[in-house]
Amino acid sequence: MVDLAQFVVGGLATGTLYGLVALGIVLLYRSSRVLNFAHGDLAALGAFIAFTMLVQLGWPFLTSVAVSLGATAAAGALFYFVVLRPVKEATLLGRIVVTLGLALVLSGAITLLWGADTKVFPFPLSELRGYRLGGVFVSHLRLGLSAAGLALMGALYLLVQRTRVGLAMRAVSQDLVAAQALGIPARRIFALTWGLAGALGAAAGILTAPVTLLTPFMMLDPFLKGFAAAVLGGMDSMPGAVLGGWLLGMAESLFAGYVSVKFKTTLAFVIIILMLMVRPEGLLGREFHRRV
Amino acid sequence: MKHVRLLGLALVLAALLFSASAGVAQERGITPTEIVIGSTVPLSGPASYWGLGVGGGIDAYLKSINDAGGINGRKFRTVLLDDSYLPARAAVNVRELVERHNVFAIVGMIGTANAFASRGYILESKTLWITPTTNDIWAGLRDRKYLFVTYPSYHNEGRILTEYAAKSLGTKSIAVFYQNDEYGLGLVRGVKYGVAQAKGIKFAGQASYEVTDADVSAQAVKLRATGADTVFIAATPTQGALIVREMGKLGWRPRLLATFTLGDPVMFRLAGEAWNDIYIGAYFPIPGTDPKLDEMLATLIKYNAALRNSPYNALAGVSFVEPLVEAIRRAGPNLTKDGVVAALESLRNWDGAVARSVTFGKDRRQGLNRIFIVKAENGKYVKVTDWISYQTQF
Amino acid sequence: MELRQRYEEDLFLVRGAAAWLATAALLAALAFFPFYTPRYLLFPAILVAINAVVAVGLNVLTGLTGQISLGHAGFVGIGAYAATLLAARLGAPWWLAWPAAGLIAAGFGVLIGVPALRLTGPYLTIATLGFGIAVHQVLTNWEALSGGRMGLEVPRVTFGPAALTSDQRLYYLAVAIAAVLTWAAANLARSHVGRAFVALRDSDIAAEVMGVNLTRYKVLAFAISAFYAGIGGALFAQALRHLEPQSFDLIQSIYYFSMIVLGGLGTVPGAVLGAAVLTVLPGFLSGFRQWLPIIFGVAIILIMVVEPRGLYGRWQRIRRYFKTWPL
Repeated sequence: MVDLAQFVVGGLATGTLYGLVALGIVLLYRSSRVLNFAHGDLAALGAFIAFTMLVQLGWPFLTSVAVSLGATAAAGALFYFVVLRPVKEATLLGRIVVTLGLALVLSGAITLLWGADTKVFPFPLSELRGYRLGGVFVSHLRLGLSAAGLALMGALYLLVQRTRVGLAMRAVSQDLVAAQALGIPARRIFALTWGLAGALGAAAGILTAPVTLLTPFMMLDPFLKGFAAAVLGGMDSMPGAVLGGWLLGMAESLFAGYVSVKFKTTLAFVIIILMLMVRPEGLLGREFHRRV
Repeated sequence: MKHVRLLGLALVLAALLFSASAGVAQERGITPTEIVIGSTVPLSGPASYWGLGVGGGIDAYLKSINDAGGINGRKFRTVLLDDSYLPARAAVNVRELVERHNVFAIVGMIGTANAFASRGYILESKTLWITPTTNDIWAGLRDRKYLFVTYPSYHNEGRILTEYAAKSLGTKSIAVFYQNDEYGLGLVRGVKYGVAQAKGIKFAGQASYEVTDADVSAQAVKLRATGADTVFIAATPTQGALIVREMGKLGWRPRLLATFTLGDPVMFRLAGEAWNDIYIGAYFPIPGTDPKLDEMLATLIKYNAALRNSPYNALAGVSFVEPLVEAIRRAGPNLTKDGVVAALESLRNWDGAVARSVTFGKDRRQGLNRIFIVKAENGKYVKVTDWISYQTQF
Repeated sequence: MELRQRYEEDLFLVRGAAAWLATAALLAALAFFPFYTPRYLLFPAILVAINAVVAVGLNVLTGLTGQISLGHAGFVGIGAYAATLLAARLGAPWWLAWPAAGLIAAGFGVLIGVPALRLTGPYLTIATLGFGIAVHQVLTNWEALSGGRMGLEVPRVTFGPAALTSDQRLYYLAVAIAAVLTWAAANLARSHVGRAFVALRDSDIAAEVMGVNLTRYKVLAFAISAFYAGIGGALFAQALRHLEPQSFDLIQSIYYFSMIVLGGLGTVPGAVLGAAVLTVLPGFLSGFRQWLPIIFGVAIILIMVVEPRGLYGRWQRIRRYFKTWPL
């Protein structure tokens, strides 16, 4: 019984992370229908920038995090302006391949600038000390990470649902032409969306690095899982992304604990495919209405 | 048929781009002024930590020899190609090394899959192949005249550490945490064999991980459930650190054994205080305990500052190529491939700055058949046994 | 400009004396390639041919029928392991084992195609991605079948005159198979089946209304592209001589996907061109060491930004420019 609780707790903690990654992916998909395969590498970039500030420049924690979020947001927006926007008749698949190119460039740049060795990411909370509730161990670190993740999700929700900027973003994602006709500056909104996605990714990276140790490729697996979680929850639903993340994290943890560690990634995808069979637009996604 | 046209055009263009005339040489890779050494290692991608360290170490070492005047008037030229740990790329690279760059010898190669993909070609071309870092896959091979390996055997390391634990540490049951590839599996087999050889010890279970896995908490729980009193960590630094931390979180601290790749001092940083009281295999001295080795490390870092982050891998790279360099020295100014082969075969318990007790022979191509055991203690590795030998297989 | 007066003329793959001459010249160039180029280029050429087969197959699925597949390495892996197991465990000769492997892969294609009927866009992407990952994990962990991470030794195929080296023999076999399969795909694109695929891509509801059987053609697209991937896998196994699951992971799937998009989505020559460029370019850049991924990524971005229709699209534009010159 204790083990079950341990698995659930661990799964939820990991699931919060998946949800954070998924949010970044869903944000971009909703507004521009682009599947951003560079999201994992943007997250890693954010983590490394924060690392440099923390370790090599010795700046205080919150400042470093803030700078890293800003820098990664700028990188995302820059990518939009320099690469995506100028492409005129880009097909959807073409834009996906462009993000693949960006992923390569980012991972190569990170390895070049910071080296391929594994580093420890200093986080003010400890991984090894924590609370023991009835046999279940929750470290300070995981608690803090989960809390930070939830706070970010909450802030994002407020931004998208309760501000004018968020309203503009939703308008653009619903119908671009109509939004432009109403005077919404679509280009600026897109740049903002990319920047926001970059910042979300950086946050995900910073929250992952203390647990997984900092390497240039640490986000490969979380990105994949985050992508899967986004699809599970519905690619155009942000609450869906969060829900998908939690479900995926728990299912994975329970499966790994009770059945087989080796096939846990396969299981994650099998669950998702089964779910898609039943409900092709994801758990909380909007139903498809396609016109001929 | 436009597509066929384009295929042909693409190939012709590629041919034109790649055409380079080879220099005239006495033997492939040897001219009166230089010796060409080639290597294909992962310099990009998730495995780049190994390639950059090992390749960088080889490169820096050979540069330092050049600056000291070379050997008998010849200087080394190193050609490092990136294979991103992909077997297909390794196969392409070895052909390019031999035929376009005309290398005298290919040193190292990381990944058993890569070695398998390149093995047929390298042996056919009769190129000297020095220490591909693989599992024990050479034993049944015929025609290994030009293959020389100074690399510990995973299987035997697993066995030796297990037997040591049973005999000297009081281990009664052992479980293995391993990377799910030839490297980890080789060690698991070694541990199982060691369990069979030693008396009164049983194999409790195993838990594996994939290289991309970031979360090993489930494996830690599973290992604890086996009830083992000792765990053998057959992993690379990242997951090695992670599993130890997970065990700490569970409040479970079994006796720990680890394979030699975790003898990397980076482990103290990664795993922190948890990296203590662990018994690890080793095949060259620990930095800080041997003046010759420390001097070599300082030289390497002087030539390539980035190696400061991967000193262990850089030293390993040097240990692979050192015997070759010594053989080239012994072969004299009249340098031929067979001369170098004979010189290599003449090495008996030879010590370089890094490589130790290298022995080859007319029929012996496994240059290293001993390891020793160290213990992680207070932030340092301390030697706890002398050399322990195992049987050579090829 | 050549004017076409009859429908049959439009169907020709090679038209006119000049085109026939050019085709013959390039076939000859391919045939004599091993003899006038440096020897080390032979193996990359073999890989180009193999990747061309896979890319052309994937193009049928993604380019013609519009089904995004990010799990194609799974089909390639199935083909590779099936061919090797048939040859090693059952002793089948290569000319039986390889087509059988292609058919087995096609069977899996049908298996994926049926559930894929309900999915579109990113949902289909995830489903195919999941398939690719599932295949990779099964191959890694089902040791009795695949030898797990220790891999499988591939029995050597012997055929052809002994005067050629094994690399050369494989080259001819690979190029011959690639040429035949490419020719078949080009014909497929021009047949009613190809037109049905394109109709499905452009608007599947409208196509069904017009009488194109959605189920049959979507599943057929999966099956055909999986067959190509299976044959490519069998060839790949022969080239590498030793199979390991890590050659068939997600990164490989992404590679295949990038090949067809970079080369020119929806066109057979584009698929071949993309395969050639993406196979040769990393080797070409390998001297750049750590800069390789950066340069490679920038190259991909540049190509897609400058010409969203891919390399072949740019080539078509150039040709059109000269054809309509001096307008």
